[in-house]
Amino acid sequence: MPILTIQAAGGLLKALEDFLEKSEASFVLIIERGGSILSQHGEIPDTIDPTILSALAAGSFAATREVARRVGETEFSALHQQGRQSHILMSAINDEAMLMTVFGPKTTLGLVRFYSAGAVKQIAAVLEQARGEPQIPIDLGSEVTDDSCDVFEEPSRRV
Amino acid sequence: MSIINYVNKEIQFKIVYYGPALCGKTTNLTYIHSQVAEAHKGELVSLATAADRTLFFDFLPLNAVVVKGFKTKFQLYTVPGQVIYNATRQLVLRSVDGVVFVADSQWDKMEENIESFKNLEENLVRQGTSLDQIPYVVQYNKRDLGNPAPVHYLDFVLNNRKVRVPSFVGIATSGQGVFATLNAISRLLLQKFARENETAATKQQQRSATSSATTALSGIAAAAARR
Repeated sequence: MPILTIQAAGGLLKALEDFLEKSEASFVLIIERGGSILSQHGEIPDTIDPTILSALAAGSFAATREVARRVGETEFSALHQQGRQSHILMSAINDEAMLMTVFGPKTTLGLVRFYSAGAVKQIAAVLEQARGEPQIPIDLGSEVTDDSCDVFEEPSRRV
Repeated sequence: MSIINYVNKEIQFKIVYYGPALCGKTTNLTYIHSQVAEAHKGELVSLATAADRTLFFDFLPLNAVVVKGFKTKFQLYTVPGQVIYNATRQLVLRSVDGVVFVADSQWDKMEENIESFKNLEENLVRQGTSLDQIPYVVQYNKRDLGNPAPVHYLDFVLNNRKVRVPSFVGIATSGQGVFATLNAISRLLLQKFARENETAATKQQQRSATSSATTALSGIAAAAARR
């Protein structure tokens, strides 16, 4: 199971801070292949839910990668979406994660691509190291694992 | 697989609703979204065709209980049930933690139910996992329609692996059985997480015991050397 220790999370955040500062992108997310966010940095507008963004981005990237594979392309490392105001660059970090960068007119695709290459290597190294970290046990207690516990309440059927 | 973030103090689980076309997977998520309090849910996102059939997936993020300072988050996905979308189903299954298999109870849908269940097993194998390793529950939906098969028959057909899993009857359009199903799979995931943590705790104790023993032995050796 992916485990983000305080040290690993710090390493990821540092890589994102460096990348954002140099590339002048708006915000950036590290997304694991199942669609969950591992780390994020930058100014994400309140109107955007990063959880939804990451689920959609993971699906989109995985689908395009699969299309590439089926047409016989073995190398698929990045996907660029050009918009009017905001552009998106998605880059593969490794088989388990991807980097999603959203940027505006302050910078260029070339600059974002250039700096993302370094960021991807740095992030991949942090994730590789985190993979070997032992899990710090979390005791959930019996109140949520008990067979009678309802994790979610259904208001309209509440007695 | 679940993700633990020690900085944000979060544990995330991914649940996938699987089943044949038009069995009610999206309806389950729509009902859950209509009932969960605003503070505990995100937007329900549906990537659907013009005819309102799931094209890629539906997605609903939920925040559940806070346990020992850790927020538990559940991300619910559906797969497209139509046979042609198998490649898409494989993508949605990536990193799955738990599965809800939604079956259509109608007699004439039995073949599609069985095909879909087999397809689930095959797709999990492609991900390097299986139903032996992933918690799952079964929901027999559409009990209100004309010709439902008896529950014991559905259990015999769809819930006859070595270990029988929890099964629920449902009428997702009215919400019957929807939360019972969701709570069952959520509980199974938390119980599995708790078991894995017990194992991790045991390993940690063994490591510290070994480390203390090594330190003690080094101390004795050093003292002997001094003498």
